[in-house]
Amino acid sequence: MTRMRTRKNHGLLIAATAMLVLAAFGRAGAQEGEADAAAVIRIGSLYEPQNLDNTAGAGQGINEAFNGNVYEGLFQLEDNGEVVPKLALEHEMSDDGLTYTFTLQPDVTFHSGDPLTSADVKYSIERVASENSKSSRKKSLSTISSIETPDERTVVVRLSERSISLPYNLTYVWIVNDEATDLTSSEDGTGPYRLDAWRRGSSISLVSFEDYWGDAPANGGVTFNYFTEATSLNNALLTGAVDIITSVQSPDSLAQFQDNPAFIVTEGQSTTKEVLAYNDRVEPFSNVKVRKAIARAIDKERLLSSIWGDYGTLIGSFVPPTDPWYVDLTDVDPYDPESAKQLLAEAGYADGFTFTLETPNYDPHPIVAQFVQSELAKVGITVNINIITANEWYTKIYQAHDFQATLQEHVNHRDIVFYGNPDFYWGYNNPEVVELIASSETSASEAEQVEKLKEANRIIAEDAASGWLYLYPQIVVSSATVSGYPVNGLNSQFFAYDITKRAQ
Amino acid sequence: MTVLAEPQAERTRRTRRSLTFSIGLILVGLHLAVALLTLVWTPYDPTGMAGGRLEAPSWAHPAGTDRLGRDLFTQIMIGSRIALVVGAGAVAIAAAIGVTLGVLAAFATRYLDDALAATFDILIAFPTLLLAMLVVAATGNASLLSAILALGIAISAIVARLTRILVKRVLAMDYITAARTAGSSWPSIVFRHVLPNIWPTLSVNFALQFGLAVIAEASLSYLGLGAPPPNASWGRLLQEAQGTVYTAPFGAVAPGLALVSLVIGMNLLADGLRDIGDPTRRRAR
Repeated sequence: MTRMRTRKNHGLLIAATAMLVLAAFGRAGAQEGEADAAAVIRIGSLYEPQNLDNTAGAGQGINEAFNGNVYEGLFQLEDNGEVVPKLALEHEMSDDGLTYTFTLQPDVTFHSGDPLTSADVKYSIERVASENSKSSRKKSLSTISSIETPDERTVVVRLSERSISLPYNLTYVWIVNDEATDLTSSEDGTGPYRLDAWRRGSSISLVSFEDYWGDAPANGGVTFNYFTEATSLNNALLTGAVDIITSVQSPDSLAQFQDNPAFIVTEGQSTTKEVLAYNDRVEPFSNVKVRKAIARAIDKERLLSSIWGDYGTLIGSFVPPTDPWYVDLTDVDPYDPESAKQLLAEAGYADGFTFTLETPNYDPHPIVAQFVQSELAKVGITVNINIITANEWYTKIYQAHDFQATLQEHVNHRDIVFYGNPDFYWGYNNPEVVELIASSETSASEAEQVEKLKEANRIIAEDAASGWLYLYPQIVVSSATVSGYPVNGLNSQFFAYDITKRAQ
Repeated sequence: MTVLAEPQAERTRRTRRSLTFSIGLILVGLHLAVALLTLVWTPYDPTGMAGGRLEAPSWAHPAGTDRLGRDLFTQIMIGSRIALVVGAGAVAIAAAIGVTLGVLAAFATRYLDDALAATFDILIAFPTLLLAMLVVAATGNASLLSAILALGIAISAIVARLTRILVKRVLAMDYITAARTAGSSWPSIVFRHVLPNIWPTLSVNFALQFGLAVIAEASLSYLGLGAPPPNASWGRLLQEAQGTVYTAPFGAVAPGLALVSLVIGMNLLADGLRDIGDPTRRRAR
């Protein structure tokens, strides 16, 4: 279960009372102070999609606006990280794990009025896996060898090898109508909302779909308003032009909302990890004692509060709490400069050593680099900071592996698999972990997969494979009148159907 | 020239002029004094985390503290040193390259002169900062030295262009013709007659370019291309303060003031130098 802190302001009650009084003069409609089922929720975001198709390079913004709202998958990744069936009423895996049989929800219709059939599902999966699909996820569907549709409501997917993550991977496969012709500027999905209007450069508005197969949305519709700049987005919330901001990226801008009873600041858990990645192939980082010493020499709690104030979470490995294989490993290498010195001495570096830290030139990396520099100086390690651009990072570090250590934010959900790839930029190579991660995907059950990845997680933590400095917070700020929104923003999703707004 | 009675207007003008020069001298002198002081003493360890996060200015921390709790006043003091070193270094490099090329062009055959003049003009068409960024990118790693080198090279085109024009003007003078007739070699003409005559104008330009170099270095550091951390360049301090400008605006104010005071100081100094060194201006009006 996701841990979550809600910062309700002390003045909230007063504000609510004040609003009740004010509402007496307002429009009639729903009862004052109660959820208004007809209210349109105005969502402010910085991520306007390039187009409306997530297989055509539309960007993360389209997942935010459309996943679960306009389009649904066979499965859905819930805000707490759980994968639940959506358009798949039932699913069955054969004993060898190579055949999945899905039975579709009955009476589902697309927004165009066409009924959902197995042919639509086959078309939709093949669309994501196809050659000209620009989906960043298509590689994870590569084990699918064929899709059959024995009847209108049954889909049989055959795999070339076991893939226990198939339901998870299907959460980002939108089920679209196979007769839809233009999905880049219009839509034909099965979700609780249909597209009302897309004003390029400005907004996307969604209205309830009357024939939705499931529960109707708790609101009258939603509008995603797009901003190109964080300050103007914050101002829009301050002035009441939007009701909610999907993700606040800077602790600085929170100051204007924190002590204001008209707003609620909610901290969820992101999957973005600030990582001090060593090149584990080269001396002295090939020595596990050196890596553990560095982990113990850095006061991560102080670092996190320097960068984010009271927000964010400490992590003991690469796995965030919303991944199913999370284990609290923060006590494997706790802050302890004395034992760090001892470990360095044991590793043969009693007098320390010098290394270059390749630091991307954007916030927060330069400031994090200086903190690391100052902490490591206390145990005798000299850090030279080299500032590089994002582009240089990609060519020099990610592609050429030409570095000693670097800082980078890793944003993905379920990305522990990187430690199972010895050719990844950080070059961590533990055969046991490689085997665990490779075999976890071909597990017979989810329990087995989770067990294996938990084990891999523990080993990388014991090996201090990288320095996991902290987990970024995911912060949603809203007007105090709205509630029921997702707070973790997994895979950039933002389900809007449970959001309610109190009448005023 | 005999001046019997100095008119009142002329007198006030000269006073104002010397005031300009004095203010410039004081501002630059102050920065120089602070820069020298940092070599032997600073209020806090510049990289030490002496205070809490983003503390507002107080007696203990006159400019406040940054996100890591480092004293900003200490960093701004060190910033003076970096700014002066970069400014002086860049102008020295620009002078060495620019004056040499400028004199060469003025003395060269027509085709070479035209080619050099066109090159200077093309280089000047690029903003100094852009040129400097190209040079930093070409040298690979960003460092204090690469920043100085980059700015020096970028500014040298401006100096070369000015030098060429000034030298040409001097070469047309009668006393040069006289010196040539008397059989002076061209190095002797350059060092005895040309350079002393163009020096007043050049020195004013150097002071102006100094200020320009300081701003350009701040911009390079702001973009992460200047002296790498923990060198406390004002540009880097501004860049770091940007992320907390709502919660801690003082973090941007102090380095900004330091930058502005040094640049204005250099410009006032240049103005004053021009008035003192240029007899034609003194007589004018």
